[in-house]
Amino acid sequence: MGVLQQGLSAFTRKHGLGVACFIGLSVFVWVVFLIVLPQLSMLDFSFRYNLPRAEVGGPADVYTLDNYAYFFQGNDGTFNALDIGILVKTMVAAVIVTVIDIAICYPIAFILAHSATGVAARLMVIGLIVPFWVNEILRAFAFRVLFGATGLVNSIGLSAGFWDVPIDFIRADVALYSGLVYAYILLMIFPIFNAVEALDRNQIEAARDMGASWWRVHWRVVLPIAKPGIVSGATMVFMLTAGALAAPQILGGPSNLWFTQLIYQWFNESANWQRGSAYAVVLLVVCISFVMMLMRVFKVSIGEIGR
Amino acid sequence: MNRQTGGGPLAVGYALLFFAFLFGPLIIMVITAFNSSSFPRVTPWECFTTEWFGVLFGNGRLMNGLLNSVVIGIGVVLIAVPIGLAGALALSELGPKLRAALYTVLITPILVPGVVLGISTIVFWGALGRSVGAGYDSMFFNGMFLTLIGQVTFIAAYAMLVFIARLQRFDPTLTEAALDLGATPGQAFVKILLPFLAPAIGSAAFLTLLASFENYNTTVFTIMADSTFTTALASKVRLGTDPSLSALAVIIIGITLIGAIVNEAWTRRAEALRSGCAARSAVYGNPALAVIVHPATVLVLLLGLVGYLAWSGTQHDAGVCKQQILDEKLARQEQLLEEQRQRIRDQKAAEEATGTVTKPASPSAFGGAFNGLAPSPAAPATPATPKAPSAFGGAFNNLAPKTD
Amino acid sequence: MTTKDIKLDHVSIRFGAFTAVDNAHLTIKGGEFFSFLGPSGCGKTTLLRCVSGFTEPSEGTVSIGGKDMRGVGPNKRPTALIFQNLALFPLMSVAENIAFPLEVRGVGRKERRKKADELLDMIALPGVGDKKVHELSGGQRQRVAIARALAVEPDILLLDEPLSALDLKLRHHMRTELRAIQQRVGLTFIYITHDQGEALTMSDRIAVMNAGVIEQIGDPETIYNKPKTAFVASFVGETNAISGKVTSQSDGIVSVQTPLGVLKGTAAGGRHYKAGDECFVFVRPEQLGLVGAPGAIQSMDNQLTVQAVKEEFEGNARHLFLNAQGQDLRLSRTNLGGVSDHLAGQAVQVGFAADQAIVLPHGSLAGA
Repeated sequence: MGVLQQGLSAFTRKHGLGVACFIGLSVFVWVVFLIVLPQLSMLDFSFRYNLPRAEVGGPADVYTLDNYAYFFQGNDGTFNALDIGILVKTMVAAVIVTVIDIAICYPIAFILAHSATGVAARLMVIGLIVPFWVNEILRAFAFRVLFGATGLVNSIGLSAGFWDVPIDFIRADVALYSGLVYAYILLMIFPIFNAVEALDRNQIEAARDMGASWWRVHWRVVLPIAKPGIVSGATMVFMLTAGALAAPQILGGPSNLWFTQLIYQWFNESANWQRGSAYAVVLLVVCISFVMMLMRVFKVSIGEIGR
Repeated sequence: MNRQTGGGPLAVGYALLFFAFLFGPLIIMVITAFNSSSFPRVTPWECFTTEWFGVLFGNGRLMNGLLNSVVIGIGVVLIAVPIGLAGALALSELGPKLRAALYTVLITPILVPGVVLGISTIVFWGALGRSVGAGYDSMFFNGMFLTLIGQVTFIAAYAMLVFIARLQRFDPTLTEAALDLGATPGQAFVKILLPFLAPAIGSAAFLTLLASFENYNTTVFTIMADSTFTTALASKVRLGTDPSLSALAVIIIGITLIGAIVNEAWTRRAEALRSGCAARSAVYGNPALAVIVHPATVLVLLLGLVGYLAWSGTQHDAGVCKQQILDEKLARQEQLLEEQRQRIRDQKAAEEATGTVTKPASPSAFGGAFNGLAPSPAAPATPATPKAPSAFGGAFNNLAPKTD
Repeated sequence: MTTKDIKLDHVSIRFGAFTAVDNAHLTIKGGEFFSFLGPSGCGKTTLLRCVSGFTEPSEGTVSIGGKDMRGVGPNKRPTALIFQNLALFPLMSVAENIAFPLEVRGVGRKERRKKADELLDMIALPGVGDKKVHELSGGQRQRVAIARALAVEPDILLLDEPLSALDLKLRHHMRTELRAIQQRVGLTFIYITHDQGEALTMSDRIAVMNAGVIEQIGDPETIYNKPKTAFVASFVGETNAISGKVTSQSDGIVSVQTPLGVLKGTAAGGRHYKAGDECFVFVRPEQLGLVGAPGAIQSMDNQLTVQAVKEEFEGNARHLFLNAQGQDLRLSRTNLGGVSDHLAGQAVQVGFAADQAIVLPHGSLAGA
């Protein structure tokens, strides 16, 4: 509390009492009522039974591990291969999407930071941002138009004779992966761009001058500088991909679900909020542990995310 | 492009490929909006039509969702921008340790999956509502209110990032100078810091409005029985698609492009004015050109163009062309049926000749036909297929690729 | 004419374990041009911020005109600070900048504009009121910052290295101008600088600071001619420092055993040395002379044979770099025309008078 008081008096001295109160109150409401309490409340909820409203708060409303047990063991006490499998698949898919995004975005970020100049650079920035003003759902829809059974890709493939039976890109998850890669490109490019931009162009030229091949220049000079940006971008892309709901619902095949779709089903189709909460907690814990591990491996702190 | 640092043809080629990936799907979607085919696609091209715009505006749920989205969006801007500003200011004043801790807390809503935010919001406010004995019609169970709260949780962090970036460029001695010159801390805030932050407030408001409008993952949980524009859109896409969504994309992309062009005109003008070389520049120095490149003029010109296109779009009648396409389809249908009948007659004749009797095709053959039909260009004609006996399915399957 | 004295009563300022200012104790008289001179990081800016009210002292008190300033915010003190980067408000016009102190005091628009124009006339920049700050040159901005500070009608003007961003010519010009403004308005100026030239030319008095400690306070001539510590001697102006041990002292003249032999110098401030005390002999390059040269110093109590290493020509002066037994020395002569005598590479005889050399106890040297 002493620290808070000190902070508040610092604000008062600098911006005045009114502004200090505004800052203190806003941050308090945000942290406590919007961030911390809802998360705790969800955690609490995930340890309860799904009771009819009349029994909530009654003697039957006790804590239970039932919802988590279900995730691990299913109804019959054996290994819940289906749900755990979906979680693993979601994580693996998120990693794949993240890696593809890194591969696609790194060259563009580098070109934008060090090769493009003047009008070209401006156009590139606008070109990068404009597609992302279009609604997420419509972007996914565009990929459905593109990859659907009667979509353009199949029409071209069929008429050019590359294949003679329409390929089900939706079932093969090609559409989903493309859509997800597309959806988070911007979140990958800008952190890398910010990191690479700090690189002095002379360093590259010096390395080239000393006879380093272009891939060696990137491996030894550019990549170490870009690393915090890549990790920052990768963290965001991974979290958003793992937590994506719209793209899997629109582009996903009917048989392979995304983990968020399971959560959605518990809430909206089975009306079992408690179990849904438990699944949400599982998703959150798995994602955060994975990202923490990644940050430790690459020695990047959370303070660098979002810069 | 700078050759020396890797701006060679390879880089140019890659950049072009990249932007093709970025814009290709959008362009194709835009084209499908003007094809009269009832499934959004480019090939085969049937008729140029503007009817899908009419279908779009006739969609009551979508339009109702649009209204909800606007209300929520305005609410989110009004709450998230001040909260984000407060967060950024708090971070700028705290000591390094406390700052890192608070930053971690405030940035997590961006990283936490949207579904988790949505769930935690409805669970928390629902529990709060129950504990005060509020009914299901109270605000604790109101989709609009919950969506507002849920969205503010993470959108405020976006706003905060915008303000942090701007505050990093603020020279704190300006505030000190104001204090030293006799301003109260409050006056210094209002007269020095706020004007400096004004552009960031603008872009934060834009960003938060966009984020609120676009959000699906959180909203789909918090909106309850209501719907926003995006959730209505998503359920429409999931249930089945028609080109009215493409028409929507045309409108959104159009607005986006107009916004981008006007914004570009505005920044260029502001830059030229600020650097003081406006009078010397060929464009801004020339009085006639200066008027033409003024953002307001650009906006009016673009709006005029859009208005003209929209008007001529309403005048366009695709009826004749569509009738023609329909006739063609019917004719082809007829032809296919005829061929089929012919084959059956031939078959019957052959059977009678050989004396063997083939079993009538099972209903499952119809399913196979349906599968095979979907990708074929004759798909719009599917409503006609029930007229044909199920036995024809197999024949369709064989014939369809040939008609390409 | 103000008569408000500023009294720093045993002021110390600490940030955690770091002591930025250590026991500063002095009184600055009303109407004085007072400079704090010291290398960067010596605590002079901290001291200034303490006077203006941005930092509270950890110990001791600051009083202005006999009034304790503890708890009085910067906006309530009779001081105005000119920041190192000037801190002109970039979004306001020049006139709005200058009238800002009036604006926050609720003065009407018309009156504000009138006052701003008056001040612009005073700093000889009439008619720039409607320009934006970035349209002005460096020197003009400088004067606008002063006008803005004067609009507060302060008793004391605090200046934090305000000339450091200007080029050399302008800096020299602004020295004269600042001094002139100070004499015209009759305010107390407290001036912070690391440039001894600025401090010497403008100040009534100077306080030399090193590592948070005020080493010496005095008028410019005293500071230059009679430094009290090794640091002051070496920081203010160019000098040759020769390390040695005291052998004897008779009256004010001290004999010191150095690697160059026994040298005689004056004991600073009537100090008494014991035989064996570690000390420095300081002699300024312009007080070192060539033996036998025309116009050379008459009485050379100390004479040395040294090797001339190289010669540098600086227009108004010639600098001769010398070496004797590993000790570098520097000798400067005013350029009176004529040509160089090409001494580089030769052995030369140099000398200096005992009353122009200063003997000071061992202590830290500037830049060492």
